[in-house]
Amino acid sequence: MSDMRDRDLTTYRDVQLSPDFSELRRRFRRFVFPMTALFLVWYFVYVLLADYAHGFMSHKIGGGNITVALLFGLGQFVSTFAITMIYVRWADRRIDPDAEKLRHQIEGAPQ
Amino acid sequence: MSPALSLTAIGLVVVATIGIGLFGLRISRTTSDFYVASRAVSPRWNASAISGEYLSAASFLGVAGLVLVNGADMLWFSVGYTVGYLMLLVLVAAPLRRSGAYTLPDFAETRFESPVVRRICAGLVVGIGTLYLLPQLHGAGLAVQTVTGAPPEVGAMIVAVIVVINVAAGGMRSITFVQAFQYWLKLTALATPIFVILLVWHQPVGVLDSLHGAAADWAEPLSRAGGRDHPLYATYSLLLALCFGTMGLPHVLVRFYTNPDGRAARRTTVVVLALLGLFYLFPPMYAVLGRTFAPDLVSAGGDTVVLELPGRVFPGTTGDLLGALVAAGAFAAFLSTSSGLTVAIAGVIDQDLLRSRLHRWTGGDYVAVNSFRIAALIAMIVPYLAFTVTGALSLADTVGLAFALAASTFCPLLVLGIWWRRMSTTGAAAGLVVGGIAASAAALVNVSGAPQGGWPRALVGQPAAWTMPLAFLTVIVVSKLTPDRIPAGTARSMVRLHTPEAVDVDRGLPYR
Repeated sequence: MSDMRDRDLTTYRDVQLSPDFSELRRRFRRFVFPMTALFLVWYFVYVLLADYAHGFMSHKIGGGNITVALLFGLGQFVSTFAITMIYVRWADRRIDPDAEKLRHQIEGAPQ
Repeated sequence: MSPALSLTAIGLVVVATIGIGLFGLRISRTTSDFYVASRAVSPRWNASAISGEYLSAASFLGVAGLVLVNGADMLWFSVGYTVGYLMLLVLVAAPLRRSGAYTLPDFAETRFESPVVRRICAGLVVGIGTLYLLPQLHGAGLAVQTVTGAPPEVGAMIVAVIVVINVAAGGMRSITFVQAFQYWLKLTALATPIFVILLVWHQPVGVLDSLHGAAADWAEPLSRAGGRDHPLYATYSLLLALCFGTMGLPHVLVRFYTNPDGRAARRTTVVVLALLGLFYLFPPMYAVLGRTFAPDLVSAGGDTVVLELPGRVFPGTTGDLLGALVAAGAFAAFLSTSSGLTVAIAGVIDQDLLRSRLHRWTGGDYVAVNSFRIAALIAMIVPYLAFTVTGALSLADTVGLAFALAASTFCPLLVLGIWWRRMSTTGAAAGLVVGGIAASAAALVNVSGAPQGGWPRALVGQPAAWTMPLAFLTVIVVSKLTPDRIPAGTARSMVRLHTPEAVDVDRGLPYR
């Protein structure tokens, strides 16, 4: 039993130290954290614009009732959706294959 | 408004809810069925179910009410409710699934190897859940009162009883079916009256124009309409709470386990965002129309505007029919959110408080599922008692406080716990306690009567902007001070959290 546990622990430490694992983590962090910061900034700037750039936000487009603020507001929903799509595509393409590779490394030969 | 028609519609929703729940009971056999529907729900069903569960009384009635009273700033509620899912998806969903933990206390225990941290988390889950169930009960009371004039206790009691029966009978599997059905019911109920109104008028633009004269400051952003001071602070604080609180809501997280794998979980989130975005188009329209047709509701708090608008626009049979449809949709909202919350809270009460005691009292002679059923009863009794003693705060505001509490406790625990190797067990516990006390103190002050204006009201009404950084700071400072209390298994946890699920590392799955 203790023998098992020791071996397990070594595996964990090996994985933790392996360049592939840190690369996977780093890649994830380098994409996700800036992305999160970016879209938070976009929401917060919208609020600021609403308060301080009044003329710009109430500028009418095409003569009707459509203002810049309204378009940006709808843009909040659209951009949220777009970011999600980008993330999902990115994860499918850049995370899943490498994760699969790492899996074979840990478990031995591909099955 | 015709009480008979509305009550019939509400009755139909209740019968359908119990019916689908019973159907679920027939195919719900194992413990895993009870907790995570055996991880066998397809993304589309699951997305409908997640949205159905998420759109509560606050979304169905509360957002329209707040926009009606306080103006355009309150639109951030709907944006924030949606963005929270994105944060959850990119920051914590995948690692948390890999951790193998079904609940937040499970995660806390495996990551920090401490029963104390686990118990604090269990307490917080019950606290957040109760704060979230409270407006559902208030909403139900309000709806029945609006329709029939009966006292609020009647509506709240109906929802409480049905939810306990359904949850105790079927667990997660039946709840999934019920909630998927209820999303579409809610969307139909909310959208139909708007379409009918637009169809009858042909000229919706006229309504918008009439608004510019009558209530110009109401339509302006950050306007302080409705007497809310410091709108910029309040808006930012609300956004923070909603963005970072969603990941700490007990009924939301467990949903990510009902997907078969991580890829399906991501697909599910995309569909959820589309469904939520679609739904949130409608509450603001009720508010805009309400400004024209039901301006008297502004002083009454506005939470009933969705229920009353159809009758105001179309006095007569059309209004009665549409009113009945909306009442049915509102009940679907109370039932679905309350069911999801009750499953989540009951799961925690069952595992952390009840099962070991039952085991001791009965000498092991009990059935695991029965323990869950008793827990479901307790999970509903607590908020019902809270409902009878608290005053009616605006529905969406109460839910906002639940988000603030989650953002100030579970958000630091999850984000730092998943990404920061030097987080110590003491730091985790300190962050939970400090953030939890600060945010729940603010919530208690609000529920029992908020200060009247100025900075005190803004800070207490929207606490997340100071309680959340406070919690993060506490975790970081205390962790730096107690490096010897970094869990011994941190390396192992990190590998578990960040290697793909398919890898067969020991994740300590509890119910397999």
